[in-house]
Amino acid sequence: MTNNELWQTALGEIELSISKANFVTWFKNTTILSKEDGRVVIGVPNGFAKEWLENKYNTYIIKALQSSQDDIREISCTIYNILEKTDAVSQDIDAAKAPSQIKTAYPMVGNAILKENPANEANLNPRYTFDNFVVGENNELARAACYAVSQNLGNAYNPLFIYGGVGLGKTHLLQSLGNEVIKKNPEKEIKYITSERFTSELIDAIRSQRIDKFKNDYQKIDLLIIDDIQFLSGKEKTQHEFFHIFNALYQINKQIVLSSDRPPKAIPTIEERLRSRFEGGMIADIGQPDLETRMAILRTKMAEKGFYLEDDVIKFVAENIKSNVRELEGALNRIIASCELNKRPPSIKNVGQTLSELISSGKRKGIHHKHIIKAVANFYEISDRDIINKGRRKEIVRPRQVAMYLMRIELNASYPGIGGWLGGRDHTTALHAYEKINRELEVDEKLKEDLVIIKDKLYSL
Amino acid sequence: MKLICTQENFKRAIFNTERITGKQITLPILGNILLETEKGRLKLSATNLEVGVVSTIGSKIEEEGKITIPSKLLSNFVTNLPTEDKIILEAKDQILKISSGSYSAQIKGLDAHDFPIIPKLENGFLFSLPAQELKEVMSKILVCISLNETRPELTGVNVLFSDKEISLAATDSFRLAEEVITIDNKEKGDNYAAFIAKTTSIIIPASTFSEILRITSPEANAINIAIEENQIFFEIEGVLIVSRLVNGKYPEYKQIIPQKFNTRAVLKKEDMSRAVKIASAFTSSKSGEITFSINSKNKEVVIKSQSQETGENLTKLPADITGPDQEIVFNPRYVLDGINPIPTAQVAFLVNNNSSPVVIKMVDEKSGNVIEKYTYVAMPIKS
Repeated sequence: MTNNELWQTALGEIELSISKANFVTWFKNTTILSKEDGRVVIGVPNGFAKEWLENKYNTYIIKALQSSQDDIREISCTIYNILEKTDAVSQDIDAAKAPSQIKTAYPMVGNAILKENPANEANLNPRYTFDNFVVGENNELARAACYAVSQNLGNAYNPLFIYGGVGLGKTHLLQSLGNEVIKKNPEKEIKYITSERFTSELIDAIRSQRIDKFKNDYQKIDLLIIDDIQFLSGKEKTQHEFFHIFNALYQINKQIVLSSDRPPKAIPTIEERLRSRFEGGMIADIGQPDLETRMAILRTKMAEKGFYLEDDVIKFVAENIKSNVRELEGALNRIIASCELNKRPPSIKNVGQTLSELISSGKRKGIHHKHIIKAVANFYEISDRDIINKGRRKEIVRPRQVAMYLMRIELNASYPGIGGWLGGRDHTTALHAYEKINRELEVDEKLKEDLVIIKDKLYSL
Repeated sequence: MKLICTQENFKRAIFNTERITGKQITLPILGNILLETEKGRLKLSATNLEVGVVSTIGSKIEEEGKITIPSKLLSNFVTNLPTEDKIILEAKDQILKISSGSYSAQIKGLDAHDFPIIPKLENGFLFSLPAQELKEVMSKILVCISLNETRPELTGVNVLFSDKEISLAATDSFRLAEEVITIDNKEKGDNYAAFIAKTTSIIIPASTFSEILRITSPEANAINIAIEENQIFFEIEGVLIVSRLVNGKYPEYKQIIPQKFNTRAVLKKEDMSRAVKIASAFTSSKSGEITFSINSKNKEVVIKSQSQETGENLTKLPADITGPDQEIVFNPRYVLDGINPIPTAQVAFLVNNNSSPVVIKMVDEKSGNVIEKYTYVAMPIKS
């Protein structure tokens, strides 16, 4: 047992016998320096800890040490400099730099530290760029808008609002935008933040009574990117502050980019004045990728990972995993892992087995008709019973039809079965509902969005 | 515990110890002062685990004992008492009864056994310094302390030891202040020579020095100092202060102080301070710039500033100048921090060119010579 292991074991025991506060205060940055003939020397960071460990905790420490090594009789403490080892490196540099380098570095220290890594400061992940973003029909407009904005901050489209479902590449686009701007103009102040973080920063600022500083900091930014803005819904004070920051930036032509999982119209409980501002610039949506795009994405990802799949296998995966890019990537990772573990070639058959859980006829497990009724009822704010009961009021008929449609699409249920679940209705009722919704989906954007949200809810139940 | 002491001494001891106690969430007892009888005297101790202060006062002890009392409450009570001769303390069951004249209080305390043990001095003192001189030196040095925690070594005061003198310095990497104190043999302890053989440079936390400044009363004569394994002890008129030292290596600053100068301007400190303050009011933002023009023909220094929003200002100061003309741009704050603490009526402004460090020094009033012991270095803003 090395000294370090011995000390860790002893600390584990000591932690149980004294209070957390005492443990942290007195045992932080301690270590065993030497052990000889049953005499242990403990290194402590300061004189207070030395006195306290030697006089108050010595019995605890000896007992704890003895339980792993019973030949220990005595302990003593010395103050030692925990930084000594790591320090040696920086000392060398300091000595090497002096005298000429220190002189020139002198007045610039402040700036140098601040501007060291603009990407880090802006909270951006340099992995996301426009180059590795796969363009398809579904995201052409959004990408073009983002690119235009990155080339011409504040003047192209302001604000730019990107929306689309989960895992379709909103974050990728937003981060690419930020990275592109940094590449072109490193001196621009850029901030990428999720609305969650924005809220918590605001709360911190309010608590520490530095709200003015918070506002000022934000108003200095050249490009403000806020991801998942829909989470502002219901947070009135945050919306209020955001409104002012938004206005301040907008008036001096600073670029604002926002993303959400739904269009501004569909974000519930958001102030009207904010909604109208979101809609005032450019709105672009990212839809689900079509088959060709999905295949292209798979190819890009494969190239990144240095893995190869036959064309027919790529097609098989792309055909079966439709809803989002993240799942597509997940499926690919799964295939790679299973091929490497089981040492089998990625043939269609093997891949089919590997992904069987993900694709089981395209649907996820564990969802049944009751979930659908619940999700639909929840969304339209009616009760479960209303959907099943006889009522024919308009506000109930529509949800009922949506539920039937979803059962058909999501569960592949038979029409008589659907009728049976919904209060013993005739199979023709179910058939009619399915066809009606299907027809309306082609023209009614609102309905399409509603369905996306209901599906999200369904799978997050 | 039961004892009687003079109110004046007790107040003084509370004042000395109270400030370093604070709100520590993990260890609430650090917000308390430990009162303890020891060898016929009353000892008050407080610590925040970085600095510890022990103040011992004379008292008439009737019963030995110890207790810890919340410092804020104790100090609020005691400092507001009207001046009386005596104060009577009596501790029983973790409650301290205090009475003085017609005022009395009962304060709930915590068990003294949980109070941290303040490290004791093992050997004798290493050396001593004149208290008032150190106090004056520190007021000049502390303005340059860095508040930025990313370089912990710059948050402290660097002390360099040699046989004849001790140099104290602080820098935030934009400017630097250094003062050298000479130390004669009768101020050195027995083991001073042995100490400087192995250690020549230490860093003392700036907060420790502010504490010392506060505790040093105008009557104090000498400060005794001892340094032992990573900690430093100060003793001022019966008050003992223990502090950790800052880990790390201080930059080799001596090399960046210029030794030769092209131009020297000697001018009145009050005039210069006033002109810089006025000029700084006319600069645009807080990182404002003011320009110094040294004109040897007209024997004057022109200090001016301007900004688009406010307007402009110009002050001509008569000065004694040797060397060629210069024009340098400065942050006014860095100039003020250098000249404000100077006690002499005249200051010397020493320049090489507009991009290398500028030095400010004191000027002896009678002889008119530059005093070498204090050096303030500031970087000009490159134009």
